[in-house]
Amino acid sequence: MSVRDQILGKIGFQTDIKHPGTFVGASTDFDFKTSVEVNGARVCSLAELDVLYPVRTRFEKTLDGLLLEEVEVLEIDSAFGVAENGAIWLTEENLPHRVAPFICQHLVIFVADIVPTMHQAYERLGDLKSGFGLFLAGPSKTADIEQSLVVGAHGARSLTVVVG
Amino acid sequence: MLSHSEASEKFIADGPRTDWHDETLWFVRSKRDKASHVLPEWEALREHASQIKDHTLANLSSYLQEFEAKAQANGIHIHWAADAAEHNAIVHQIIVNQGVKVLVKSKSMLTEECHLNDYLAERGIEAVDTDLGERIVQFRKEVPSHIVLPAIHLKKEDVGETFHQFLGTPKGNKDPQFLTEAARQHLRGHFLASEVAITGVNFAIAETGEFVVCTNEGNADMGAHLAKVHIACMGIEKIIPRREDLAVFLRLLARSATGQSITTYSSHFAKPREGQEMHIVLLDNGRTRQLADPKYKNSLKCIRCAACFNTCPVYRRSGGHSYHQPVAGPIGSILAPNVDKRANADLPFASTLCGSCTNVCPVKINIHEQLWFWRQDLMAAGLAPVGKSAGMKLMAYVLAHPQIYRLGGLLMRRFSGLLNNRFNPWYKQREMPVAPKDSFQTWYQKR
Repeated sequence: MSVRDQILGKIGFQTDIKHPGTFVGASTDFDFKTSVEVNGARVCSLAELDVLYPVRTRFEKTLDGLLLEEVEVLEIDSAFGVAENGAIWLTEENLPHRVAPFICQHLVIFVADIVPTMHQAYERLGDLKSGFGLFLAGPSKTADIEQSLVVGAHGARSLTVVVG
Repeated sequence: MLSHSEASEKFIADGPRTDWHDETLWFVRSKRDKASHVLPEWEALREHASQIKDHTLANLSSYLQEFEAKAQANGIHIHWAADAAEHNAIVHQIIVNQGVKVLVKSKSMLTEECHLNDYLAERGIEAVDTDLGERIVQFRKEVPSHIVLPAIHLKKEDVGETFHQFLGTPKGNKDPQFLTEAARQHLRGHFLASEVAITGVNFAIAETGEFVVCTNEGNADMGAHLAKVHIACMGIEKIIPRREDLAVFLRLLARSATGQSITTYSSHFAKPREGQEMHIVLLDNGRTRQLADPKYKNSLKCIRCAACFNTCPVYRRSGGHSYHQPVAGPIGSILAPNVDKRANADLPFASTLCGSCTNVCPVKINIHEQLWFWRQDLMAAGLAPVGKSAGMKLMAYVLAHPQIYRLGGLLMRRFSGLLNNRFNPWYKQREMPVAPKDSFQTWYQKR
């Protein structure tokens, strides 16, 4: 018998414990911009963005993620943001390469639409199939040295969000 | 190997550092409170998460098979491992097939459980840990002392010294910003060069065959998206049925762990990218045994947030290394005896049974009750620490013999030195009250 079948064979069944279904009763009173700022990111208008980063790159699709190492300010579009935690849903269709939002030095994301919580976020995703997707909430950070928060661990050093 | 209490004694020898450790973790716990109080539905979310996990564990076999089929259809290779040795051999073979000698690995407590790094090192392969805290402890040839904050036992001076030694940072520089930047540059080199990346798994979704990895640093993604081969290692209990269940778990995970409303990156891997090879190793290593025991089964609901560590008065004042297990704290103390009763017989006793762990657990594991169950099982199996079982036996004997009980009481009232001496560990940090002249019984009879 294979290891797989041995492991599965050791697991018993209990069919009477039901899945509780979709969560209902989530509060919806959240402000996306506030959440984004709590995550250490910046929210600005298009005009402010042009002053902040006059030079931005919109990179073409590529199979070579290493090319993106040179990118200083990468600009991408997203599907939507989540108000409760400032997370932004991205899929590889939005990205020149899966590594793009991590490897660039500074990241700019355009957010067109906002949902209140993660429940609505997954409802909206439905059975949308993408090889890779992520919720991104702020610049890369760590507090592994004495719990001191440091922004810019391995991924982007800053995140700027443009709503609308 | 030192027992938990022996190792703790060493840890608390440094008073100021113990206080710092205690207060810092309590601060993390209070951030968790603040983040959870923002949501009026918090308790309903915990209950919902608990029910999803109960349901999943009750149907684990079919969900594992569904996950396997969906993941394979997505082009992911699935491997099954009965124990740590099989897990390590599978991972090693994949690496050998690539012919590489160095790889990057993001945080995975499961690979710590299997001692994968040592296994690979013995075979000439270097696994570079890329989580900052894990890299720090790896340089120091230590293990993580906390599953979310691996280097929480260290001060910035220690990190500065370690980085001076291994990364050539200026001696005496202990600025976290500067040291993090040094690690960023050092590890970026590894990310760009690495052909194999290993990650852990936070959640695996049966319905879609995808898996989710959560980090704040972005190290899992930097490794996985640049490597030609991505190996994700997971315990069989990481399965959840539906993608929408993630909403519940992602809302709970980071809030419980650090007080963030979500981790910076919650990455959903469904298919390998073009030209990439993706593997998932599913590990049992005692989990099916735990699952078969109704008393301990629901310890497998754990999502590894470490809220129980941060709230535990014993963990905070004894440090993670005292638990001599990759997963320390209250949850580690109920998981470890399942794998090796004898070696971990001290851990269920490393608790005050105050129940705070159970109160903060986002998936409602009855941690303190299971600690108590383990104590009973270990005593019954004759595995309790000698002093403890001898003491219990003596106590039982004395209580069963009223005359000896009275004599003992009399002696202790007259000669308090019999109890209050350096051989009594309870006396060490405490001042004992003065014993009354008469026993309760004598006093009662007089009235």
